[in-house]
Amino acid sequence: MSLKNFILGLAATFGTAWLAVVIVPFFTMRAMDPIVVVDEVAGTEEVFIPKRTGRVTDGSAVYAANGCYLCHTQVVRPTYAGNDMFRPDWGGIPDDEERGDTRRETNPFDFIGEHFAHVGVLRFGPDLSNVGNRVIHNYARGGDPEMWLYEFLYNPRALPERRKSRCPSHRFLFDQKPLRGQRSRLALNVGDENLEIIPSREARALVSYLLSLRKDQPVPDDLDFAPVARSDDG
Amino acid sequence: MSSPNPPTTAADALLRAGIDRSLRHPVMFFLTSGAAWLAVSIILGMVSSMKMHNPTFLDGPGWLTYGRIFPAHINTFIYGWGFQAAFAAIIWLMARLSRQECRNVGTILTAGHLWNLGVSLGVLGILSGRGTGMPWMEFPLFAWPIMLLSYLAIVVWSFIQFRLRPVGHTYISQWYLLAAIIWFPWIFLTANILLHFITGHPLMAAGINAWFRSALIFLFFTPVALGAAYYLVPKVTGRPVHSYSLAMLGFWSLAAIAPWAGMQKLIGTPIPYFLPYIGAAATILFFIPAVAAAANLIKTAIADGKVMAYSPTLRFTLAGIVALVILGFAAVFLNLPGSTLRMTQFSLTGYGFDILALYAFFSFVMFGAIYFIVPRVTRREWLSTRFIRWHFYLSIYGVIAVAFVALFGGLMQGAAQENWQEPWVNAMTQAYPYVITITIAWTFVLVSNFFFFLHLLLMWLRLGRRSAHPTLLGQDDHAFSAHGPDGESNDVETPAPAH
Repeated sequence: MSLKNFILGLAATFGTAWLAVVIVPFFTMRAMDPIVVVDEVAGTEEVFIPKRTGRVTDGSAVYAANGCYLCHTQVVRPTYAGNDMFRPDWGGIPDDEERGDTRRETNPFDFIGEHFAHVGVLRFGPDLSNVGNRVIHNYARGGDPEMWLYEFLYNPRALPERRKSRCPSHRFLFDQKPLRGQRSRLALNVGDENLEIIPSREARALVSYLLSLRKDQPVPDDLDFAPVARSDDG
Repeated sequence: MSSPNPPTTAADALLRAGIDRSLRHPVMFFLTSGAAWLAVSIILGMVSSMKMHNPTFLDGPGWLTYGRIFPAHINTFIYGWGFQAAFAAIIWLMARLSRQECRNVGTILTAGHLWNLGVSLGVLGILSGRGTGMPWMEFPLFAWPIMLLSYLAIVVWSFIQFRLRPVGHTYISQWYLLAAIIWFPWIFLTANILLHFITGHPLMAAGINAWFRSALIFLFFTPVALGAAYYLVPKVTGRPVHSYSLAMLGFWSLAAIAPWAGMQKLIGTPIPYFLPYIGAAATILFFIPAVAAAANLIKTAIADGKVMAYSPTLRFTLAGIVALVILGFAAVFLNLPGSTLRMTQFSLTGYGFDILALYAFFSFVMFGAIYFIVPRVTRREWLSTRFIRWHFYLSIYGVIAVAFVALFGGLMQGAAQENWQEPWVNAMTQAYPYVITITIAWTFVLVSNFFFFLHLLLMWLRLGRRSAHPTLLGQDDHAFSAHGPDGESNDVETPAPAH
């Protein structure tokens, strides 16, 4: 076999796969068709606009740089691929006061504002697709969700029910300052009388990002398969 | 002609000695700096594994957090050790097989330093909190052009040597090496350009990252290791390759199957449905090229059991090939959509599979190549059979533990993750014992590589034995001294004693 034929052979075998699984899907998915929602009663048509609030871009960079994706995933798989939907609070809130069961699978609009979807490689910790929801509705119920997350990041094992957590402490994302005058609004409830521990710029971006991880916007039926959510025994 | 053993003449021996001399510094540079990165990587691996079950261990400063140590571990393993071992193997094997001296030592050495600089800066970038968060591509943006340029400056000469080779048959190793030389920049450029410079859908970016990881294993490390093994096994046993058509089948099936693999890691995410299924199918089919090559090599080697017993090269290489067979089976059983894939997708199994591929298969074959190449380029023999034996046994014990515990522990963990009626924390605690075992196993691998690195360093300093007799296993240390018995090692190409 000559070198020329060899290279042609490689180009044919590798090139086909390269085009079919990398290049064409990449450029096709760059421009997704908008989802049109038809309101039959009012006779109007509108385009579904996914919403997400928070410091998504820079928070996502902090999430990436500190390797959160090594232990946490961000995907609620459909039931054909895993049992994520059955976990009580992964896909959403099972007993939302207004909308009932809001659990749903991940859809392609869930990652808007991010450059790279941190789908993750390992679930040593729980899935974070709806961690914002969980903090607001469960962990910090009635309290300040932002402060709950700061305290968790500072010492994940502080609360008695979280003694088993293996999440590393992110103390390095906090600044320790001598207390002058009034305590900062964001100062943690730990440490010395004369010191205050304040979240750094990175920690604030990260917490804002984590709180943006909540899939609580109602989605059009095209995106909401909800296979188990409506059943009574689910 | 299906053997890299042409009849030896005086002119041939002179040519080979010339090739070896010309490559001494680049080969030894890549091997020693690679071995040093390997040691760094294993220490980082131990620390990160320790942190998984004991999160307060070395807790505090940002650069020591698990989320930075672990990417540093895997990236130093791949780009620090894996690639540099591959560079040494590629440039030496290609020069030998194309029968040409290396004329670009200065460029290769400069580029080698540049590569190390890129890796060092990349690791510092990760540790200082500038990692990109894309698995196996965590080095900050500036690192990859440095690495791509130095890669090209290192391997382009091997490509040229192949083009200028004397007319005649081309050996299977050359196809594997040449393919690896071409595939890697293609994969690397695709992934980096699409992920860093073109705004695409974030999920598709994650998909391409998964494809990149898979392609790096199947289309760079696998062909380099198989190219080396196809050279070493016939060379050490002095037999032609069992079946040359099987070898070609193995090569072309790899080329046709492996580029489709990888995106099964994203099953269940809303990317086009066919991608994860094609990825799973291709990973499962990787069994064919793996077993074709492994069967061929094992068949070639076991014809003579005696060589197996005393050649360190053959022992390491065959251990690597056995790992390839296991890898082939693992690829089948861990990627079945609907049954095992849901349990392995986000469990320790992924790490076990990577370590099985990168250490048990690729690195073992590279160790085999190193035990063969280094005496030839330094014109000294290995100092101690005991060091080699410790390297072998501690490494094999450690890596079997890491890979198997991660594979099976990962399956247990995955089953617990799927058991949604139990609280999530159970899935986490289920994995602790396995993680603890992994920490202990890395300790063995670390000790083994301490011997290896020390041995290699002594060889580079040309403190090896001056002898016409290669250092072989299975005998007392002195039985193979310069005055010891001779005869069985005729098939092993022995360098002439230094003057």
